Amino acid sequence: MSAQQRCSRLVTLQREVELIFKHVLVAALLASTAVAPAMAQSDTDITVVLSEELDLVEPCMATRSNIGRVIMQNISETLTELDVRGDTGLMPRLAESWEDKGDGTWQFKLREGVTFSDGSTFDAADVKHSFDRVFSEEMTCESARYFADTELTFNVVDDHTIDVKAEPAQPILPLLMSLVTIVPSETPMEFVRDPIGTGPYVMSDWTAGQQIVLTRRDDYWGEAPAVTSATYLFRSEPAVRAAMVETGEADIAPQITEVEATNPATDFTYPNSETVYLRIDQTVEPMGDLRVRKALNAAIDREAFIGTVLAAGTELATAMVPPTTLGWNPDLEPHPYDPEQAKAWLAEAEADGVNVKAPVEVIARTENFPHVTEVGEALVQMLNEVGFNASLRMVEVAEHEQYYSKPYPEGRPAQLVVAQHDNSRGDPVFSMYFKYHSEGTQSGVNDPKADELIEKATAATDAERAALWSELFAYVHDEIVADALLFHMVGHSRVSERLDFTPTIATNQQLQLAGIGFK
Amino acid sequence: MTKLISQRAIASLLSLLGLLVLVFFLSRLTGDPAALFLPIDATEEMKAQFRAINGLDLPLIEQFGRYVWDFIHLDFGESLRKARPAIDVVLEAYAWTFPLALITMALVIVASIVLGALAAFNVGGFFDRLVSIVSLIGASAPDFWIAIVAIVIFSINLAWLPTSGVGTPWHWIMPIGVLFIRPFGLIVQVVRGSMLAALTAPYVKTARAKGVRNLPIIFVHTLRNAMLPVITVIGDQAAAMLNGAVIVETIFGFPGIGKLMIDSILQRDFNVVLAAIMVTAIAIFLMNILIDIAYGLLDPRIRH
Repeated sequence: MSAQQRCSRLVTLQREVELIFKHVLVAALLASTAVAPAMAQSDTDITVVLSEELDLVEPCMATRSNIGRVIMQNISETLTELDVRGDTGLMPRLAESWEDKGDGTWQFKLREGVTFSDGSTFDAADVKHSFDRVFSEEMTCESARYFADTELTFNVVDDHTIDVKAEPAQPILPLLMSLVTIVPSETPMEFVRDPIGTGPYVMSDWTAGQQIVLTRRDDYWGEAPAVTSATYLFRSEPAVRAAMVETGEADIAPQITEVEATNPATDFTYPNSETVYLRIDQTVEPMGDLRVRKALNAAIDREAFIGTVLAAGTELATAMVPPTTLGWNPDLEPHPYDPEQAKAWLAEAEADGVNVKAPVEVIARTENFPHVTEVGEALVQMLNEVGFNASLRMVEVAEHEQYYSKPYPEGRPAQLVVAQHDNSRGDPVFSMYFKYHSEGTQSGVNDPKADELIEKATAATDAERAALWSELFAYVHDEIVADALLFHMVGHSRVSERLDFTPTIATNQQLQLAGIGFK
Repeated sequence: MTKLISQRAIASLLSLLGLLVLVFFLSRLTGDPAALFLPIDATEEMKAQFRAINGLDLPLIEQFGRYVWDFIHLDFGESLRKARPAIDVVLEAYAWTFPLALITMALVIVASIVLGALAAFNVGGFFDRLVSIVSLIGASAPDFWIAIVAIVIFSINLAWLPTSGVGTPWHWIMPIGVLFIRPFGLIVQVVRGSMLAALTAPYVKTARAKGVRNLPIIFVHTLRNAMLPVITVIGDQAAAMLNGAVIVETIFGFPGIGKLMIDSILQRDFNVVLAAIMVTAIAIFLMNILIDIAYGLLDPRIRH
């Protein structure tokens, strides 16, 4: 075809196409003027964007942090409440007071004039039923684990008095009461989808996959909170959560990453009660040798991580629990970084016939915390510099669990499990048995003195309890060097400037709407 | 044609059964759901209780027998994590994935056919070059990056669109836009190539000699003949979309089947995994039958 023909064909084609596009454009313009994204809500309604959707909104699962953040003290309340951020200690909630009657029995005086959101009155029978549910054979409630070896008997004295007898005696029973939510006695022995509680809010909508809405109750027994309604949305991408607060689509985004936390006006960094450590399994060579474990600790330059791969504000750990916990030992110093000393200890152990060159696997879980891979790589590098034969293995959550918890795999090489442990419950009992007792599920320790200290501290009260925990912290950190404690981590949250709310160490487990105000 | 479809349906049913057996046993190989449902410091009694409640303590073959029996009665079992029927969870998610896939594929098909055909008509020209460049960029850009950049531009800087979620039609624009790019880039190239070949056929010359205008030549006469390879690629892309769009769902908080499936696998929620795979497989088999019908309609030689 000639150039002229080709040209004229193109002109005609152009005209035909233009005509069609003109119609499309007009239609698009008309449509775009019709609506704009509407996000209007009342001034006292807030939106919270969380990282994962809740599988269940079941009160007896409220100790699981993603469920607790929505339910705990918002929908469902507990008999007692721990002041995690301050130093008030254990505070009354649905119980007004409690008393040790001796012989393992505690008497709780319950608050009067409290109603559930279904209108029924709160009394001692509800407390008994709530515990019956926790221990029921027909369902698996998470909070049962806090009473693993304890038999509880409930005796309803009158409508507002209940005796709880623990066998063996449980000195921290009032504290454990802060972990069990109270439901009405009509609640069935199966997971519910419409939780009824005594809290200041009631769940008014749950659209699976999209949102959960809590609305303020008018008949709440306590002071009415400022927030009238809270909508919970779920976005797994931290950049999106941060962007939502920035654009005004949400007011609070807990759990954003350090990379996102760039605006000092809205972004908060605070200790999140998570402790990162290297779990040492002492039963496999060469980790059974104290000098090897000391060398391992001296090989790690902990300071080098902070402000580089880990957020500024991260603290060096000397215990499995954060400093806000009972019995935390202020005299302990992190193991100093001393590669020469580490080499010397290893040489000494080798001279005594310990196979310090045995392969050591550092096992870490992908997405366990931000930059976990980089942390693992740096640790391996540091260990190898002093003469260990370490390598890194990144695994998924399910596989990690197999290495972290007993029974450990047969015929394994020496393994150092990078793990993160959360204890914002105020007492070391929730950590120390599992991590250091010879029977503990994640313990790599087999030491009679540690066992004895844990058992004594668990049974002790008050000052004696604190002193025993303190002694145990010093013993596992300095004497037997049970593991390589690394960091107390920080979390980041973004909070809209219109709110009067400062996230704290407590925000990891619960987000009490009553604590949120407006500027 | 009917024979072809019934043959296809029987073959599909057989593969569905094979899939059921395979997924049932493979998912059980991943380990114990109790370890993930319960916290790390749960006691062995709690784990045993969880297994007993959910029938996970029975011999594997008995579990399979029960599953098949329930499956015949259209009962897919309970979700281990969500304490509600697995099929409800899956259908809820599918109710979001299906329209998303449908709208996106419809837009992709229309846009890529129109633009690909026009590009082939004017081969080597400015429009052809533009379409080629745009489609190649589209086919090679990572979608998670496009999604995040789209949020920064359209939600944060321009404040035109909501960042994520599904409340209004506005919420759908960015997910559809991001999902659109890659299949569009691919299919537009296939249309263009296929049209180039078809446009050289003698009947095109004849039509032109009769004075038929350009648009009817492209879209009525040539396109139908160029469509067979295009349909194959469209089927492939549509199947991928019916599987869910994990990255788009994750970033835009879109409650579709892709993320549900990944989460259920990671959490060992076996019943949801099975139900999701069955529903997706049925959707893909149905779509393949539609594609077979489309072949027949386009080319009578296949029909007979």
